[in-house]
Amino acid sequence: MTDVVRFASMGTRVELHRFGAGDDDALTAAQRAIEAVDDALTIHRPSATTALNERLMAGQGAAIDDALLFEALVTIEELRASTLGLFDPAADRRFASAGWSAIAFDRGAARIEISQPVALDFGGFGKGFALDRACAVLREKGVVSACLSAGESSIAVVGEHPLGGGWPFAISHPLRPDEILVELELTDESVSISSTVGAGTNAPERAAMIRPTDATIVSAPRCTVAVDRLGAHAEAMSTALLVADEDQAERLLNGDRTRRFLFDFPRGAAIPDQSARMSFND
Amino acid sequence: MTDNDFDLSRRSFIDRVLMATAGAGMAAAAPWASTAALAAPVAKGDRVRLGVIGTGDRGRGLIQNIAKTRNCTVAAICDNFELHLAKGRALVDASTRAFTDHRAMLDAGGLDAVVIATPLDLHKQQSFDAFDAGLHVWCEKAMARTIDDCSAMVKRSQDSGKVLQIGHQRMFKPTYLNAVRRAKEGEIGSLTQIRASWHRQSSWRRPVPAGATDRQINWRLYRDSSAGLMTELATHQIQVSNLFFDAVPTRVMGSGSICFWKDGREVYDHVALIYEYAGGRKLIYTSLLNNARYGCEEQIQGSKGTIEPELGRIYKELPPKELALLRMQADVASGKKRTVPIGGATWFAELPVTTPGDSLGWGEYDETMLQFEGFGEAVRTGKPLPGLLSQAYYASVASLLGEQAMDSGQVMAWPTSLVAI
Repeated sequence: MTDVVRFASMGTRVELHRFGAGDDDALTAAQRAIEAVDDALTIHRPSATTALNERLMAGQGAAIDDALLFEALVTIEELRASTLGLFDPAADRRFASAGWSAIAFDRGAARIEISQPVALDFGGFGKGFALDRACAVLREKGVVSACLSAGESSIAVVGEHPLGGGWPFAISHPLRPDEILVELELTDESVSISSTVGAGTNAPERAAMIRPTDATIVSAPRCTVAVDRLGAHAEAMSTALLVADEDQAERLLNGDRTRRFLFDFPRGAAIPDQSARMSFND
Repeated sequence: MTDNDFDLSRRSFIDRVLMATAGAGMAAAAPWASTAALAAPVAKGDRVRLGVIGTGDRGRGLIQNIAKTRNCTVAAICDNFELHLAKGRALVDASTRAFTDHRAMLDAGGLDAVVIATPLDLHKQQSFDAFDAGLHVWCEKAMARTIDDCSAMVKRSQDSGKVLQIGHQRMFKPTYLNAVRRAKEGEIGSLTQIRASWHRQSSWRRPVPAGATDRQINWRLYRDSSAGLMTELATHQIQVSNLFFDAVPTRVMGSGSICFWKDGREVYDHVALIYEYAGGRKLIYTSLLNNARYGCEEQIQGSKGTIEPELGRIYKELPPKELALLRMQADVASGKKRTVPIGGATWFAELPVTTPGDSLGWGEYDETMLQFEGFGEAVRTGKPLPGLLSQAYYASVASLLGEQAMDSGQVMAWPTSLVAI
């Protein structure tokens, strides 16, 4: 069986492609899993996260009642350590000295306390987290080969390519789409691509990438790629690489140079002038 | 500007019109333009003698353009408001006769045609009087205050055998003609929608000088004499829409309001309309008087590109991005395993394209002069410029039909009782 569903969620366009075995309702169930994460983690409409943020912004602690939000917070705390603290969904330009360090998360009590006002924005992590849950659902439903995409920057695959072997992907240069930055083969893995330049980076809904160390916006032209067994981990790593300084980047890349990539582009690089591709005759 | 400079720029302008209208397609689409551009110069004593009715701002602008032509001359002027008449006198030879009543001007003779630049509600009677006096008529747009009056003017012109020409300067503007040519050549694909707007930051209310009445000066603001934005501005752009679509609308719906300038005016200061054309094509039109951000523009939208003639720009649509994952599906189905290109920032809803596009490549020139050279040629030969009157007639009808749609809240179908041209 080969089928596909496409829908809007997590602020982008999601595609789920399934090949071969699996229950008939596998893709529908995977879609529901992604939408459930979106409902819990979004900050663009009322959600468990916005309710939490209201308390945190007011300087108050809060109980974490939503199971998905709780699981996301547990995952984030683990990822903080593996990314040198550079992945920080609480980094906020409004509160330069805030960030995750202002948060005390008590897993046992399912409660957050804070030392100063903060707000959470899960950003790309939410997409990876959602794809992980969708992949888990597909596996439960007997799917052995699937490709899931949340926008162009977050991909997860279940099993091997339907024709065998890994799933071959080519990561395009964000400024010169005809060029390839790196080619990868994935099997039961996820890839996350983060970039400060390229199409869509100036979209009004897109939040700037904040450097957690000083709450400044990362403006240097850079693109990062991270592969991991879990999408949430790949997202955290690509984000950390994007905000890392030279030493931090070396330490993160040394963790797995075949699965983590950082591309710095010349200063002044920007969205390519598309008018150059127009060849109208006068 | 010296005479030589003027001749040079004039030749350049005419050359551009001829270039823009070259080819069989354009000869059919805008035949009036090349005919006007090819009008022969005439010795001063043999020029077409025009009597200008109305020497307000627009009338005086017309007098100045007539002076640039090589086949027309202003032989008389007329205005019932002394201040305007005095300003008109300052633009013509001292020997040019001046009148305060247009009938007196017609009775005095010595004219081949009249130029009407008066409030809209006067156009029909003044053109009737001129036709009855055996004269040809050049009349400012819009044609008349009602659709019936527009039709009556066309009919009277036909019955009298005299030329009736309406002032729509965009029909002689090289930028527009070139844009139409390129659209007809298929550069922007199939035209399906035109968005047009004329937005101003202005009350449109003029100070009333001593000796004049508000309704005399601000006639555009009152229903008796004007349909406001529809007849003063929209009529230009509806004509452009008709020209690009090569059709007239099938029906129109709209909403109008006095939304901002609540100063006693009777005409809308905000209008929004949709004109439908055969095949589902649309003109989406807005005009308002308290926000000039988007100004005056027509966006001619095709499947392969967009033309913005007021900005003189043409844009090409980028080819749609290949859906990599969709291709992967097809590959797997055919037993192929190919690398899937991905990457770039997360997809977001399409943003406006801000790249400038290419220039249509034509400079500015006052095409009103060319209109009059064309009119002069039409008067001299007794043959109207081909295709021109129907363009103006349909544009005026469409603008007035839009007013009816807004007033009634009903969808108005294109009238079936129009005069055949």
